[in-house]
Amino acid sequence: MYKTVNALYRQQQIGFLQRECKQRHAEKVSMMESIVIEHLSKKYGQFVAVNDLNLTVEQGVCVGYLGPNGAGKTTTIKVLTNLLRATNGKAYLNGIDVIHHPKAALEGVGAVVETPEFYPQLTPDECLSYVGTIRGMSGEAIAERSHAVLEQVKLLEVADKRTGQFSKGMKQRLAIAQALLHEPSILILDEPTSGLDPRGMVEVRDIIKGLIKTDITILMSSHLLYEVQEVCDKVAIIDRGVLLTYDSVKNLSAGQDVTVTITTLDPITRPEFEAIKALKDVTSVKRTETLALKLSFSGGPETQFHVLRGILNTGVKVVSYMPQRAAIEDVYLQLVPEGEA
Amino acid sequence: MAPNSVRQIATVIKYELLKYLRGRRLLAIVLLTIIISAIFLIVPPAIGTAYPKDPTDFITRVLSFLGVLSILSATFFGADAIVSEYESKTGYFLFPNPIRKTAIFVGKFIASALVSVGAIGLYYVIAVVSVRVIDGSIPANTGLSFAYSLIYLFAILAIAYLFSAIMRSSVYSLVLTFFTFFLILPIIDAVGSVAKFKPWFSVTFANGISQYIFQNPYPADKVFTTTAAGGPSAGVQTYSLVQYYPEIRLSVIVMAAYFVVAFVLSIILARRREM
Repeated sequence: MYKTVNALYRQQQIGFLQRECKQRHAEKVSMMESIVIEHLSKKYGQFVAVNDLNLTVEQGVCVGYLGPNGAGKTTTIKVLTNLLRATNGKAYLNGIDVIHHPKAALEGVGAVVETPEFYPQLTPDECLSYVGTIRGMSGEAIAERSHAVLEQVKLLEVADKRTGQFSKGMKQRLAIAQALLHEPSILILDEPTSGLDPRGMVEVRDIIKGLIKTDITILMSSHLLYEVQEVCDKVAIIDRGVLLTYDSVKNLSAGQDVTVTITTLDPITRPEFEAIKALKDVTSVKRTETLALKLSFSGGPETQFHVLRGILNTGVKVVSYMPQRAAIEDVYLQLVPEGEA
Repeated sequence: MAPNSVRQIATVIKYELLKYLRGRRLLAIVLLTIIISAIFLIVPPAIGTAYPKDPTDFITRVLSFLGVLSILSATFFGADAIVSEYESKTGYFLFPNPIRKTAIFVGKFIASALVSVGAIGLYYVIAVVSVRVIDGSIPANTGLSFAYSLIYLFAILAIAYLFSAIMRSSVYSLVLTFFTFFLILPIIDAVGSVAKFKPWFSVTFANGISQYIFQNPYPADKVFTTTAAGGPSAGVQTYSLVQYYPEIRLSVIVMAAYFVVAFVLSIILARRREM
């Protein structure tokens, strides 16, 4: 009897999703668009946190969501994850209206919002089992995936320890693990490296980079511009609830000078200096110390590689080659007025 | 695909119970139940006083702590059930999943009710077994008394959930719940005796039926008149107090109404609440 009711319920759910998809198709919203935000606004009294926001994230794309404190990043993410109600506008996840049908819309979504706390009486295994069961995963699938994601976030050794004594970094890792548990098609991350030590930040970045190779769609807010440039395909910059720009990292980086500091094993000779200055795309070279110089050039990572090869071809013994500022940082600083970051 | 809400509610109940089992509050309420029961059973022989010979008197005496136990259960298991998800940020873990907030709320309420009923049930079991062993019989209406106690428990648990859905702080919600049932409503009930109005609308007053049901015949309202010297000019004055007793049918309706209204309101508020 129960199974029959359950089967009917599932049929209803599938039917609902199919109708929803058809409706979305009729509205000419492509299913290749994983996240669609249309004229979204969120007000707290007179304060406008998000103002008429429009943003579309295509399937398989990683978008860095940038802005100063209070810009509306977390508010947007909270609306997308059913933690806040929108004042106006629409938001769709995998074509399903998350504002009116959050349960169906959040099926394929994994999210880390702020630094979530876990029930201190439960272990990581139990926390994952809790959300896995809520999501309808089988016991076997939960056990298998729990092992995999806890190993991925380096928490396997404490899988049976209660989370009450966990550090902020451990909780952040567990939050990432629960977001990945059901192999979501959309991952929404609100400052995922917040609270992590440098090693933890690198590891989380590596996890995200690994996910990008799959077909997953990622919307990731961050304060770390270099991190976004390193990890994301596209960047959206928001300030005072208004979207300032949304474009690929490549396009935003184009036209922005990259400054690189080079340190060498031996002092750079005059001919070597002139040879570097004459390299294609290099716009300026300045000696900063006996064994260091700073050079600027326009272009993306490919240009950065060619410049490095050109320097090595001059015979200079390069010890380090460090970009000083991310190109996205330049765009950000141009768009976001001083004093807001 | 996420399961239906009934299965999700069962999941929430399971993990809420697990949290209670590993927490200190359930242990505290069970210990308190056992200690209070033991006091009623150990103290009389220890000080050379005989147990009441009438089983009804005996069970009424043992169950006199029932109201406090219900209030503690509602406070421990209901007063911070909703607010804590927001205050301690565990909502960030639970809410962004494909589950309706109503399902989370109902699951939590059922889990709270189960442990509270367990505590009250344990208290009744101890009382019934004691009276059976000591006096050799079980008073009539014990089952009815238990049923009325459960209606009261559900009513105050729902009110505790309502406070939890409204308040911004767990501490405030805990304090408000405890003092509402332990102090504020009992004061209103007591003022009724002096001011001569029957506080039939008070849920704590209505709970009296779980105790008075043992009395045969069921008590009726009584007026007590006392005289006191009021000073040289005032002379002797007469005061009257009324001992009101809750009517069974009305009290059941009042408690059930509190439960339904508080439960529905708390669901609506919990659903609307934002992180």
